[in-house]
Amino acid sequence: MQCKKLTASRDRMLDPAASEWNSVPGESLKMDATPLANQPSEYIKASRNEKQIGKVKNLMVQVAHNGTDVFFRLTWEDENKNVEITDNNMFPDGCGILMPLNGGDPPIDEMGSKDAPVNAWFWRADFSDAPRNTIARGLGSTQFSKKCPIQAKSMWGQGAWAVVFTRPLAVPDLKDETTQLAPGSSVKIGFAVWEGSNGERAGVKSFSKEWRELALEA
Amino acid sequence: MAELSQRQQQLASEAKSEKARLRQSKRQLAMVFDLNKCLGCQTCVVACKTLWTRDEGMEYMWWATVNTQPGKGTPKDWEQMGGGFRDEEPQAGKLPSRRDFGEAWDFNYDEVFYGGKGNSVHLQPSGDPDWGPNWDEDQGGGQYPNSFYFYLPRICNHCTHPACLEACPRNAIYKREEDGIVVISEERCKGYRFCMEACPYKKIYFNHTRLLSQKCIFCYPRVEKGVAPACARQCPGRLRFVGYLDDENGPIFKLVKKWKVALPLHAEYGTQPNIYYVPPISPPRFDADGNIDESKPRIPTEYLKYLFGPDVETALATLKEEMTKTKAGGKSEILDTLIVYEWKSLFGPFTTDPATLEPRKV
Repeated sequence: MQCKKLTASRDRMLDPAASEWNSVPGESLKMDATPLANQPSEYIKASRNEKQIGKVKNLMVQVAHNGTDVFFRLTWEDENKNVEITDNNMFPDGCGILMPLNGGDPPIDEMGSKDAPVNAWFWRADFSDAPRNTIARGLGSTQFSKKCPIQAKSMWGQGAWAVVFTRPLAVPDLKDETTQLAPGSSVKIGFAVWEGSNGERAGVKSFSKEWRELALEA
Repeated sequence: MAELSQRQQQLASEAKSEKARLRQSKRQLAMVFDLNKCLGCQTCVVACKTLWTRDEGMEYMWWATVNTQPGKGTPKDWEQMGGGFRDEEPQAGKLPSRRDFGEAWDFNYDEVFYGGKGNSVHLQPSGDPDWGPNWDEDQGGGQYPNSFYFYLPRICNHCTHPACLEACPRNAIYKREEDGIVVISEERCKGYRFCMEACPYKKIYFNHTRLLSQKCIFCYPRVEKGVAPACARQCPGRLRFVGYLDDENGPIFKLVKKWKVALPLHAEYGTQPNIYYVPPISPPRFDADGNIDESKPRIPTEYLKYLFGPDVETALATLKEEMTKTKAGGKSEILDTLIVYEWKSLFGPFTTDPATLEPRKV
């Protein structure tokens, strides 16, 4: 997967509808159900059917940077726009990006491990485009960090979501909380999508089940 | 499910032992509710509401409820919502909606009390509500002259095998080691609501402002200071016993373990609840000619068995025997315990008057 270098302002790129995105190559990822056997809850295992998990089957990912900030644009088809938790049985749509926090090869289907944490950038439709920077050290262990260097903008139209995440490539003062990126280097990357109308939340979601190597153009 | 890999088996076994740790407790606090004394005054309900669920996002929460039986309960038809365990296996459950719980209605207080219309407008909820937390109060069941009802107070059952604890993928729910009170860590909870699905008693609520799940905490900040939970201390009917289940000298142990006149609600849900009920004794039925038929109780035994299990017959028989004994001039320790001559005897070691405590510094 390529992260293309371009000359465009942060404000422009943050707009999911900006024409700059037309020149950024995309990769369509096949998304799979998270394995039921990995769910850290006997209740979830007993009450769900893996075939019904992961309603979103394809995710289009575009990545670019401008030397200072990195931009991810995630788009997927979704006829049901679930934005607000209007009732106890309503769940909002969401998406996330996953990277090893300190390199290495953490298990992607276990959200990292005690020794190999992962950093997730998490957007949810009810967060008013205030995404969360989270760290996980194994299944069911994600915690939001207090400071969030990530921003997002989203739009829904014609049966599809488009969400742009951005963050400075390097965030030196949050080295222990968010993965550092640099042009000319590469990083392992994964993605997840939650379909609210399917009751998807927590580890019940669709995900790219293997790490991809994201190469940031120098 | 496909065959498990070695790693998946390891994950499952690690998760299992972590859950076992979270549900361990050295002692277990419990309550006994004597249904023969509940007058449905809702004082417990309001005591709890006033103390714990007044903040924004908690409007529809009633950690303590009192419903008329037979009835749909709170949330509406909760007994048909699944959850709990069958043969140790977790059962899928439904998420009750806010409407099922009964939304907090908005009343026209301003208009009536401050708008100068006190003499012309009735105090009423806005909209046209068709359900509320106590909508079917006092409807009950049966046909005249054999109609009947009784009240069923409910709080979280602080189960020994809590379905909520088992369900949480974040291990945010645990039993306090010192007293077995089931609590949700607000730091760990992310509001996913699997607990709400899994709890067969539907006693977990989603806070729509703070986006996390909340429930009865057995008033643990009071308990820690030797004060009985608010619902119990405020109850004018003297029907809520509080104490440790293993305290052999306390009324709870005697009523539950020794005399077996207090039973859990829907034990078949498999969570080993720690709230116990003295079942309601009912008057006899009238036969077709209007004569009293002593052979049949007004409240159908089948209905009580549905709620409290097959042992309800023995419990009721014991209570009847004791009543016969006292009618003949004898003494009954069981009835004396249930009568509660001394108010504080309800509360075991939790008799401190909260008014004597230093107010908490905020």
